[in-house]
Amino acid sequence: MTEGLLELRDVSVSVGDKAILRDVSLTVGAGEAHILLGPNGSGKSSVLSAIMGLAPFEVTKGDILYRGQSIKGLGVDERARVGLGMAFQRPPTLEGVTVAEFASALDASARLATEAEALNLGDFADRDLVVGFSGGEIKRWEVLKLFLQAPDFLLFDEPESGVDLEHIAAVGAAVNRLVSAPARDGSKRGALLITHTGLILEHVQADMGHILSGGRIIHSGPPKALFQHIQKSGYVAPAA
Amino acid sequence: MSDGKHEARDGLNAGEEAILRRVGYDGAAARSATSVLIDHELRVADSTLDGVEIMSIQDALMRYDWVQNLMFNLIAPDENELLRQAAELLHDPIGRFVYVHDGAKVSLPVQSFTVLETPQKRQFTHNVTVIGKGAEVEMISGAAVPENVQAGHHVSIDETYVREGARCRSVSIETWGRNMTVDSYSRSEIGAGAEMTSNQIMLASLRRHLSDTKTHIGADASCNDQAIIFAPEGTERNFQTEVFLTAPGARSEHIARMVSAGGRIINNSLLVGETAGVSGFLGCDGLMLSDDGEMVATPSLKAKSVEAQLSHEASVGMIDAEKLAYLMASGLSEDRARDLIVQGFLRLKDEYVPEDMRARVTEMIAAAKSGGM
Repeated sequence: MTEGLLELRDVSVSVGDKAILRDVSLTVGAGEAHILLGPNGSGKSSVLSAIMGLAPFEVTKGDILYRGQSIKGLGVDERARVGLGMAFQRPPTLEGVTVAEFASALDASARLATEAEALNLGDFADRDLVVGFSGGEIKRWEVLKLFLQAPDFLLFDEPESGVDLEHIAAVGAAVNRLVSAPARDGSKRGALLITHTGLILEHVQADMGHILSGGRIIHSGPPKALFQHIQKSGYVAPAA
Repeated sequence: MSDGKHEARDGLNAGEEAILRRVGYDGAAARSATSVLIDHELRVADSTLDGVEIMSIQDALMRYDWVQNLMFNLIAPDENELLRQAAELLHDPIGRFVYVHDGAKVSLPVQSFTVLETPQKRQFTHNVTVIGKGAEVEMISGAAVPENVQAGHHVSIDETYVREGARCRSVSIETWGRNMTVDSYSRSEIGAGAEMTSNQIMLASLRRHLSDTKTHIGADASCNDQAIIFAPEGTERNFQTEVFLTAPGARSEHIARMVSAGGRIINNSLLVGETAGVSGFLGCDGLMLSDDGEMVATPSLKAKSVEAQLSHEASVGMIDAEKLAYLMASGLSEDRARDLIVQGFLRLKDEYVPEDMRARVTEMIAAAKSGGM
């Protein structure tokens, strides 16, 4: 078994009294990209939020390890600083905070122009974060944000949904570039991606897919075959 | 008596110039006219343009017989005791007079500052500004005290006339001593077809500030006003604002962004549509950074015609946890994320701020949040 860069061990997650995830286990090794598939409401985004430590998701059982260390007790900013980064599905608007100011706060001003241009966001430096962004612009911005943050482990919440065909290749290429680039210490990055359309699989070499249903991982396997199975049979475990 | 232009300046010392630079002062090469009032002395009154006159209000009363009709014209001396006392000083008024001639297109800003240099001083000023018909000008005004001045009382009356078709963009910045009391009364008359844009930056700590403002907007004239207000612990700021849309086509947008970091902010604003064909908006948003402060936001609308379009928005709340978490998820500390959100909240619309003041305003907002003001 690959040594886990990120490991979820029997993780259960609740929001208040409501159980969202039950006994979720998965291990993403260095240099690996995994995809998470599942119907709406299955808990996919909750998995990413729980890993990132976002409220109101509370880990009630099990543990989350990053590079072999539990991160369950870390705050969201501490998790980011140890190396996790997340492309949000629906980021909030931040009026008055420009893309350039945000890049500066991350000490990433030097790489803003180049990476923004690659994602057709070259003229966004003076725009307020997410304010007035179209659906596709939001997705491209979230990818650009990860270039600025340069995390070692990447969490993507449906990076391609809502992106028009004109930009899907640019987003896919950018995601692939992020995933395949080395981490800050020269080691390999890891990634966990949620996809509905499967289009991202044309750009990112995914190593493993997982079907999440009812808050549980019901099956894991080769991602493209898994996606074809879902297109044919829905979000059910393939027959043995 | 000065001639209102090319007046020899007695000059500012280095310390005075330094504190004024913090509120927007710049040298003569970057300004078309300058006035600096220190305590009760108009130390500087210079203009380098024929189309702009700047002088003491006493000189103006002597030079132009119509100036006397502009003083206590927009404000009544019997409104309260402070104003009555100010009116009694009419025989020896202290303040400055700015007159931008009809049609003058002034490329460099006109700057005007007040300094309270003596601790525990009571300073009374009465300023009159006339922007002539069709004139265009940017105004920078400010108030400041040296670091050793913590207590004192400043009372100001400003009467501003923006004549028909004139355009004026202004920014005012004030920094006071932390135990000072300030009462400011501002009255403006915006003539037909004129455009007024004003930015007020009130970020420094002081004990108590009353700002009492009334603006009358004429036919097809517009007034866009944005204020950013910060109240740290121990500061009370009280804003009483009334805007009157007096003739068809009058438009106004009045926006206040308020942050309490333990201080008290009261903002009562009234927008009056006096006739048909007017439109106006009051926006009043508050951010509470702690439970120790207090914020009262009361926007009111009064329509005297069914065809007056008036609206308002008001909100008071804490920093949105989702926004905070979003920034922190990129590795920013909670304090840094809060700073970014507060600075963004207080950000002025760039297009309303004179270009050479934008960077300074951004610096001031950052300094206010970090306690540097």
